[in-house]
Amino acid sequence: MKDFAHKIVQEGPGTQSMFEDETLETVWDFIELGHAPAVADVVARVGDEARVRAVSLAGFITIAGDRISLTPAGERRARDVVRRHRLAERLFADILDIKDYEADACHFEHVISASVEEAICTLLGHPPLCPHGKPIPKGACCELYTRKLAPLVRSLADAEVGAMLRVTFITSPGLQRLAGLGLVPGAALRLQQKLPAFVVAIGETTVAIDRDVASGIFVRSV
Amino acid sequence: MEMHAGAAAGKSPEERVALVGTPNVGKSVLFGLLTGTYATVSNYPGTTVEVTRGNAAVHGRRLVCIDTPGINSIVPMSEDEQVTRDILLAERPVTVVQVGDSKNLVRALLITLQLAEMELPLILDLNMEDEARDRGILIDTQALGRALGIEVISTVAPERKGLGELRRALASRAAAVPSAAVRYHKVIEDYAGRIAALLPPAAGPARALALMALSRDETLGPRLRCALDAAAVETIERLRGECERAFARPVGTAIHEARLRKARELAEAATTRVAASPYPIMRTLGAACMHPVWGACILAAVLLGLYGFVGVLGAGVLVDFAEDAVFNGYVNPFFTRAAELLVPTQFLRDMLVGPYGVITMALTYALAIILPITAAFFLAFGVLEDTGYLPRLAVMADRFFRLMGLSGKAVLPMVLGLGCGTMAVMTTRVLETRRDRLIATFLLALAVPCAAQLGVIMGMLGGLSLTAFAIWIGCLGAVLLLAGRLAALIVPGERTGFILEIPPFRLPSAGNVLLKTGHRVVWYLREAAPLFVYGTLALFLLDKAGLLDTLKEALAPVITDFLGLPREATAAFLVGFLRRDYGAAGLHALRDQGMLDPVQTMVSLLTLTLFVPCLAHFLMMIKERGLRPAVCMFVIIAVLAVAAGGALNWTLRALAIPLG
Repeated sequence: MKDFAHKIVQEGPGTQSMFEDETLETVWDFIELGHAPAVADVVARVGDEARVRAVSLAGFITIAGDRISLTPAGERRARDVVRRHRLAERLFADILDIKDYEADACHFEHVISASVEEAICTLLGHPPLCPHGKPIPKGACCELYTRKLAPLVRSLADAEVGAMLRVTFITSPGLQRLAGLGLVPGAALRLQQKLPAFVVAIGETTVAIDRDVASGIFVRSV
Repeated sequence: MEMHAGAAAGKSPEERVALVGTPNVGKSVLFGLLTGTYATVSNYPGTTVEVTRGNAAVHGRRLVCIDTPGINSIVPMSEDEQVTRDILLAERPVTVVQVGDSKNLVRALLITLQLAEMELPLILDLNMEDEARDRGILIDTQALGRALGIEVISTVAPERKGLGELRRALASRAAAVPSAAVRYHKVIEDYAGRIAALLPPAAGPARALALMALSRDETLGPRLRCALDAAAVETIERLRGECERAFARPVGTAIHEARLRKARELAEAATTRVAASPYPIMRTLGAACMHPVWGACILAAVLLGLYGFVGVLGAGVLVDFAEDAVFNGYVNPFFTRAAELLVPTQFLRDMLVGPYGVITMALTYALAIILPITAAFFLAFGVLEDTGYLPRLAVMADRFFRLMGLSGKAVLPMVLGLGCGTMAVMTTRVLETRRDRLIATFLLALAVPCAAQLGVIMGMLGGLSLTAFAIWIGCLGAVLLLAGRLAALIVPGERTGFILEIPPFRLPSAGNVLLKTGHRVVWYLREAAPLFVYGTLALFLLDKAGLLDTLKEALAPVITDFLGLPREATAAFLVGFLRRDYGAAGLHALRDQGMLDPVQTMVSLLTLTLFVPCLAHFLMMIKERGLRPAVCMFVIIAVLAVAAGGALNWTLRALAIPLG
């Protein structure tokens, strides 16, 4: 991840704003792991020490002695950058099925607007974790969703037995075999059981699948 | 398939009727009713792999009936579907009878609409009308027929209900081509029209082919290349690419969705829903079979029932009667007398009625011991198959088979392997990938004892103790798991996801089960019995040439030193290759003569169970998997079996466990 960040700073459009994003994201990563980073740590990842100090002047970080911490404004912004990055990772990995998504996720985080971010988050069903297992900071849409909405899109593996569901999209291999049995986006189904294997009824067709296949079928409640 | 069509063009044109439909709708049963001959009917998706043909005479009209493999779409996703599509395109049947599931009308109509695009003269037969009625689904066939522009009939095949109507429809006149058509998005229609204009009339229904090409039907390529020059094929490719870009989402999906909308519309207009029958007992039972707790109880009951029917009744009562009363009482004495009177030389007499005689050993063996056991097993298996229990068992077993890198689907060949391994190797075809088939074939050959062998083994273990039985089962399970895990690691490729249609739980019809059992018994007699004769002849010649003793001598170090068994046991292992259960019978005889102590009994039984499969089974492995993989498996299994036996020998002796 740090290599890509480095690359963007070196070769990319290289705006100050992008550099700030990368610096804040790096600091967030360290703090998430449990300690405030040293200036040298951050510089090792993003490059230019003078520019890191400029981020401090812009009021996003404070440098006390050797250690860097986030100011409230910096924390808000870092949170947004990290959130966009990890949502992008989820989008590329789960839905677009791109194996090597890291570089694109790094670009993506800088360019999407708040409304696109929200739409992606909703599409993904407000995922709690990125593909590497790190938490995705909650956005406004997630707060709203946890308060008043049932999950919009979730994996069939997470649905409860007896639920009436509609297929939103399918990422599991064997897509064509599933389509032949009527398991296509838009199909209504009922989850009959989850153990020892998943059994779903689509109309009068009953199909058994294992957890691996089920976790690639994304559904919403009807 | 094309060859059939070509050959037929020369002769006087025979009138062909093709039965088409999704898997598990009763095509094969209808086929049997129309033609009088029989194709194996099964509840397990994908069993009708081969195409069956038969003659049918309906009201004086002679027709050739073709039973096609089940399809879920006309755009082929599997070999089966491709065969069916090619039959429809190449053989141009006079009438296509589409068999659909009444309770799943939308799915049936999806196919109807595709057949309509292919401009095929069609009769729609909505089968299993009773099951739909139980679920409160009533279909107005008249209205549906008017909407589609074809004749629609409803039947209940096992009860022959509606069969007369179907025969009348087949006899009366050429069926109509459906008038109902799907309108696609204008971009798709536009490109379909442009591609269709490039196709020569001889290639087949232009619009249907154009839509197949737009759906990215890769299997269509070779067909088009035959009928078109390279430039035209390239133009079609280019148009397809353009259409995909112009449309901005998968064209195949859009086509499917348009058909789905139309099918739903038609189905809704023709369907009335009333209250479902109040006691859907079969549905409750069907669901219970997959329940984590009830399913396990039912599984235990089924295994117990299977053991009682096949092990006690088949291998016990029936074999005793056939072997002792019939063969040893009448048949063998008769032939021995006859040989003494009619056959001049001692050599030929021995070949027929000696200790390794074709009649006294091969026939007695095949007809008096194996036949009753396998017939009992096939009967029980047929019942399980026709109720729809086996796919449910696959659901129960999925997790266990995952440990071995397989999916629950592998349970079908494994269960069949408890009856006859040779036939089980054939059914590994239901598995999707070559990798899965390889692993299943290997495990079948290694650790699944067949019914005949099982009978003898149970008898011997019964003489020991429960501990002995538990150790045998435990060792077998451990070897199965360990070997399966290793095979899953070694054989390249990914585990296939488990996707299996669960047919409704049904009460099997006795006639159907009996017919199917008869079919399989005939298969067994035709395929396996000759191998017993060849095997016995080989054994006879080895014995006469004195080579049998030499072989016993050569193998003695392994048998006596490593496994700690008496030298005489070597013969059991040797004949065990010719007929696995005869090996077990040989051990049984040794034990009765007091030549095996409990530890030796255990070691010899485990080794023999794991040891290489019988000759017929091995030949089938070569036929299905190829020579090299089969020989590799053979060698690995021989080594594993001896290693496991040796390990058990040393362990039991070191721990001195009381066995009985």
